[in-house]
Amino acid sequence: MFTLTAACVLLPMTGLGQTEATSPYTPPRTADGHPDLRGVWQVLNTAAWDLEDHSASLGVPAGQSVVEGGTIPYLESALEKRQENLEQRATLDPENRCYLPGVPRITYMPFPFQIIQQADKVTIAYEYLRTVRYIHMNGNPHPPGPIDWWMGDSRGHWEGDTLVVDVIHFNDKTWFDRAGNYHSDALHVVERYTPTGPNHLLYEATIEDPNVFTRPWTISMPLYRRQEQDIELLEYQCHAYLLEEEWDNPESTFFNEH
Amino acid sequence: MPTTVTASTVALLALAGALKALFLAPGPAAGQAFWREDAPKLPMAPTWLAEKAELPPYSPPRTPEGVPDLQGVWGAPGGDGLSYLEDHEYIDVTTPAQETFISDPPDGKVPYTPWAMARRNEILAGLARGWPGESGERLYASPSSYCLYFMPEFSFEEVEIVQQPGKVIMLGANGYRVIPTDGRAPFDENAKFWFGISRGRWEGDTLVVEVTNLNGKSWFDSTGHFFSENTRMIERLRLADADTIDYEITIEDPTIYARPWKMNFPKRRPGTGPQTRGARIPGAVAAGAGQFEDPYANEYWEVACYEGNGPSAASLRELGFQWFTGVAPPP
Repeated sequence: MFTLTAACVLLPMTGLGQTEATSPYTPPRTADGHPDLRGVWQVLNTAAWDLEDHSASLGVPAGQSVVEGGTIPYLESALEKRQENLEQRATLDPENRCYLPGVPRITYMPFPFQIIQQADKVTIAYEYLRTVRYIHMNGNPHPPGPIDWWMGDSRGHWEGDTLVVDVIHFNDKTWFDRAGNYHSDALHVVERYTPTGPNHLLYEATIEDPNVFTRPWTISMPLYRRQEQDIELLEYQCHAYLLEEEWDNPESTFFNEH
Repeated sequence: MPTTVTASTVALLALAGALKALFLAPGPAAGQAFWREDAPKLPMAPTWLAEKAELPPYSPPRTPEGVPDLQGVWGAPGGDGLSYLEDHEYIDVTTPAQETFISDPPDGKVPYTPWAMARRNEILAGLARGWPGESGERLYASPSSYCLYFMPEFSFEEVEIVQQPGKVIMLGANGYRVIPTDGRAPFDENAKFWFGISRGRWEGDTLVVEVTNLNGKSWFDSTGHFFSENTRMIERLRLADADTIDYEITIEDPTIYARPWKMNFPKRRPGTGPQTRGARIPGAVAAGAGQFEDPYANEYWEVACYEGNGPSAASLRELGFQWFTGVAPPP
């Protein structure tokens, strides 16, 4: 017991991602010569419940903030809506209606996703709702808007070993987490996927929305490669389960609000 | 879910502002058409069987892994899509005359057992689409009407095939399949999924995919041809020539079918095959793909059918349609 405690105290680093980020890592390459990000990945944190530091409650594990600097820089005028969202999250959270969760929220939901790479695009296949997200790398810029998409329009490029994805054309209906953190349709997200080791990607997303925040802010977290030899995406067809459950419920208010 | 959308769905899609994506998408949505009553019967299995018999042997290119290279974008069956599985004459603007999808048995009909046939007829009579022979009751709407996605319809639609060692991936406008070809174990038979569980293997030049663990809550077409949670499907994908996949699917389920049966049709690379030459769409009056010179034409754009760009589940429920929970033999 004494030995174990001593070992823990002596280990200087706090997290695996951090250790790897400080030491250079050269990822394997695909046939196209780009870093090979293919595989099945998943987060291991509580960002799905709340991006910021939060205490536990029934069904909600306590968790540390994934926001750089700790807190989200809301405009004073935008805080009231966040509070209202939080208080009425049972009815207002779009996740409870099984809608496409948007970016970056879909990344840190508690479901695995698979990265597929081709010359003209990187595709992310999410288990949640069988969502398929195309990150186009064919030279096309964002199409002209205005377009209101749940998952936005994703255009990618490589910066060294990092896949950088620029995402715009969002609607204002998705949230960032179950705590009511939200955005407007002016949302602009820049994601960065950086291999830090054979089994880890560093995921960073910078969020900009002048209607809601005082300045751009960034979340970061490791993505872990699922280690099961036979890992396989299954399915979570949220809307199918919800529709079936509500269909025969005469008291259902779901269909009036959908 | 483009080929299953009905005329009214198309109108809703347009109203919902998805029109641009609908036309720009390279998928079957662009081919969604309204048909004239005098349009010639659309080809399906019988025409393909005859065409296939005349093709010279073809040896497919191979991937670095040494298996047949099926990569690329492969179109939907064309015609009126999956609106009606069996041979039929013109019924309405989205249901033109079309040959059967079924290549075996030779009569082109689903070989239901007697009780399953009675159930199928009941469902057909309760579609409430204004078709002859209906009972006047509203029974079930097609599960596609609720923006649900499932097998085998997903594979029938346009998909892009991507191959990696040990897996074949199908990417579509509304979802994906990852098919392991590494010989892994089957999934527990009690677990059921809308897409089932797929296990692939290579047999010579053919990709063979067994699909089990289906939940039996979806249909083959929009007229209620059904399978069950006991059904096993075996897909066979083989290059018939450089631009055509010969797609065959065998359906087995002794609980509802008197014998195994097969569907067979070509999946062609976009821009190839007779359909794009115009010979087979004389009845189409709706705008289609190819009309737009657009750099985004090869990109799939968000459809978000359930989120509001599709038909309204609420109105179908309001009309009294029931939720289809699958079929079971009579007690």
